[in-house]
Amino acid sequence: MLLSLIIFLPLAGALLCLGAGGRGDRPERAALVRNLALLTALATFAATLYLWWQFDSTSAAFQFEEKHAWMPDFGIQYYLGVDGISLLLIVLTGFLTPIALLSSWESVEKNVKAFSFFILALESAMLGVFVSLDLFLFYVFWDAMLIPMYFLIGIWGYERRIYAAVKFILYTMAGSVLMLIAIIALAVAHSSTNGSPSFNLLDLYGLNLSHTFQWWAFLAFAVAFAIKVPLFPFHTWLPDAHVEAPTAGSIILAGVLLKMGTYGLLRFAFPLFPDAALYFAPWLATLAVIGIIYGALVAMVQPDMKKLVAYSSVSHLGVVVLGLCALNMQGVQGSVMQMLNHGVSTGGLFMIVGMLSDRRHTRLISEYGGLKAVTPKLVAAFLIITLASIALPFTNGFVGEFLILLGAFRWNPKFAAFAATGVILSAVYMLWMFQRVNYGPVRNPHNRGLMDLSPREWAMVVPIVAMSIFMGVLPNVFLQPMEASVDRIIDRIVDRRPVQVQVVTPAERAAAAVGGSQ
Amino acid sequence: MTEYAAIIPLLIVALAGASAMLAEAFRQPGERMPIAGLGLIGLVGAAIASVFLWDTDRSSFGVIRADNFSLFINLTLCVIGVLTMLFSNEVVEREHLPPGEYYALTLFAICGMMMMAAATDLLVVFVALEILSLAVYVLTGVRRASVTGAEAAFKYFLLGSFSSAFFLYGVAFLFAVAGSTRLEQISVALSAQGAAGPPTLAILGVGLLAVGFAFKVSAVPFHMWTPDAYEGAPTIVTAFMSTGVKAAAFGAFVRVFLSPLEPLQAQWVPVLAVIAALTMIVGTVIGVVQTNIKRMLAYSSIAHAGYLLLGIVAANSAGKAAILFYLLSYAVSNLGALGIVALLGTPENEHDELRDFAGLKDSRPGLAALMTVFLLSLGGFPPLAGFIGKWYIFSAAVQEGHYWLAIIGVLTSVVSVFFYLRIVVMMWMTEGPEVHRPRVPATAIAGLALATIAVFYMGVLPTRLLQLALESISTIF
Repeated sequence: MLLSLIIFLPLAGALLCLGAGGRGDRPERAALVRNLALLTALATFAATLYLWWQFDSTSAAFQFEEKHAWMPDFGIQYYLGVDGISLLLIVLTGFLTPIALLSSWESVEKNVKAFSFFILALESAMLGVFVSLDLFLFYVFWDAMLIPMYFLIGIWGYERRIYAAVKFILYTMAGSVLMLIAIIALAVAHSSTNGSPSFNLLDLYGLNLSHTFQWWAFLAFAVAFAIKVPLFPFHTWLPDAHVEAPTAGSIILAGVLLKMGTYGLLRFAFPLFPDAALYFAPWLATLAVIGIIYGALVAMVQPDMKKLVAYSSVSHLGVVVLGLCALNMQGVQGSVMQMLNHGVSTGGLFMIVGMLSDRRHTRLISEYGGLKAVTPKLVAAFLIITLASIALPFTNGFVGEFLILLGAFRWNPKFAAFAATGVILSAVYMLWMFQRVNYGPVRNPHNRGLMDLSPREWAMVVPIVAMSIFMGVLPNVFLQPMEASVDRIIDRIVDRRPVQVQVVTPAERAAAAVGGSQ
Repeated sequence: MTEYAAIIPLLIVALAGASAMLAEAFRQPGERMPIAGLGLIGLVGAAIASVFLWDTDRSSFGVIRADNFSLFINLTLCVIGVLTMLFSNEVVEREHLPPGEYYALTLFAICGMMMMAAATDLLVVFVALEILSLAVYVLTGVRRASVTGAEAAFKYFLLGSFSSAFFLYGVAFLFAVAGSTRLEQISVALSAQGAAGPPTLAILGVGLLAVGFAFKVSAVPFHMWTPDAYEGAPTIVTAFMSTGVKAAAFGAFVRVFLSPLEPLQAQWVPVLAVIAALTMIVGTVIGVVQTNIKRMLAYSSIAHAGYLLLGIVAANSAGKAAILFYLLSYAVSNLGALGIVALLGTPENEHDELRDFAGLKDSRPGLAALMTVFLLSLGGFPPLAGFIGKWYIFSAAVQEGHYWLAIIGVLTSVVSVFFYLRIVVMMWMTEGPEVHRPRVPATAIAGLALATIAVFYMGVLPTRLLQLALESISTIF
């Protein structure tokens, strides 16, 4: 019941907001609606924390399972469950939604009711994606998620919002419909071996699929997820969507939506089609590395802060995909950790950019300069988040990137070497941007007398900064719950690799070990 | 007396149509009369009769069968009719359509549609086809003063009668092969063909029948009449015929092609596969550039005919059941969308251009929200009816290994989302001029509520209906 509650609590709150908003766009009720939405989001966050508290992190199995027949003739179930990987992403979603709502507290004025509705509906769909263990149910949430995001960009975005919104929805949908065909084909494959179709993920894990089938189905899944990540060269929707989205949309887009791509690869594409995954891993990793360097280089020359952060996401998510492709403990654990880190720090960066653009109504770096003297507290928060984003030790980013590079090195040192240059480049573009915005004299008269952090902004900044440091200092709090689950997924993929080595008996292995040590 | 059991739903609807005509005769000029109410009573009666006939498998005169398949389509048609009546009440008055003729023709058309889906004799299929077609031709041109209406009706009539001739010619060829127009005897005659393969006459006959059906369901390349007829007809008639004619024609299409003509599958499946692919592609691609909503939804209805054809091409039980489910989901979504267009129209401004929808969120937020729901359902977004329908159709195609058709299907549905979203963009993201929007009466609100509930119900809890659809096809095929 707990999982259903977590998924549908935001939706219930969303409907409540619609009701409380009354007919039409009534500004006098905006405050009520805002508070209701925030309350719902906080309650959902509390519920996700309770979930974590109740979670048994020693077990690799899915927990809090809920299984109800939905369309029994077709093997479709309402089947939910969490393991260590989805657990943390659920908590991240719960954590970022209240911050997203707070970030638009003042900047969104028109139709607050609909805005709150879409944010909360989006949260429901995102949580649904992370807990679904039935592929059909997963696809329902996956596709349903596009609609609220489309409206968030299209209604409350900046100048080119309609173009960005339509591009976002068509691009992502084009990728995911092919996955739908692959999902159907999987169910049909299940019915030809077991007599009845099934969309249950655990049933489908057990299928023995032919090479060709795996190949095509993996491609269909991988394209859907690669667009979401977004992996180079499927990333072109992202800068548009990010730049045009309102701050809240950007926070959620960067913080949670992009993680669905990497989560999907790890949960669905890799373990369902292990042979294809091993075959394609170097290719995906190559694209990831290209993305790391390309994203960093393009980010460097952006005049617009939001676009810069958007391209930095392409680069950072490339690192995450590289870690997944390594398919070893360090790499995958680092990836999941980095998903969380990126959610916190890039979400934080978008939040800061949003604060600046609320004050000055521009996001151009050249319009700023010398903010340190004007808004010291905001700049301090900006600095910490920037450092977290470039992975300074003792911030969250360091742990994730270090593990990923370690894992990648163990797999293929070349990839690690190239990826490391991306890490260096990220320091270049982030610090350069930070310097141009915050240091030097205040040249632009508009920048004089800007407000420093308001109490509402403190409420957003403190959790993000605290998490950035907390996750960097005590990463084990986050690494430990996912360990068993990550281990199991890697086992599933790597163990089912076609046998390449001779079977070695324990006695022979011992002999070899003795021989090796001499 | 039991001979008549199978045609009771048809009779009830026909009776309602006749009484609508009578009522019009007694109506004083200028007097308001709830003729739509008569239609509603008739349709609800027909629906109840259909429910009572469920699982009885009655047959009347050996040519009309009330098996679950035709009853399911009857119920779909009743839903279509009820929604049409609920929307019409206000629109007919506002647009000064002649109420008696309008309601009577609509009801006669529904009667013909029910007959077409239930007929087990090719000649009766033809008669039913003519009943519904004639009624719909007249309805298309019911605004006598409108030039576009007259053009649309004339075009529809000419091309439609042309296709009827094709159909009739096909019936003649099959009669020559089988010596009968009864479906079961054609079935026997065709399956008796030995190793020599089917005779040329039979292949010709099947081809001509396919042309006739393709015209009625507006499949490419026989779709030319659709955009003009849909645009020229009053919007409410467009809503009715885009859903009703499709349901009836697909009903007969499935019944004729998927049991008696099954022995010739090797011949017609590749042809229909190509037609299905073309229909999906042409419908969506041309739909993208339309600026008139009725024309846009006409192309969308062509595309949806393509998806439905996938079910016939798949030719398995999932495909047949998927067609039934899809027809219902398409009916409620499309009627809802076109119903809203109709409700927003006034005699001066038909309100069917894309730009007329600009800023609808400010003047009519509720209608804008519902329109969005219907359009998203047509686009196939979960958790709405259209998604389940598409998923079911595509899984039927995938089961038979028609991967390419399924892939074309999903990709074209992404393209179609583009044009559905153009309307959404207009409604929600574009500021419009302050225009007078007509009031929406309670009956229409009831209709919209019904359609919305159906769209969500079929999207979230489709299990019961999917089972019913499966049961419906198991009785005859």
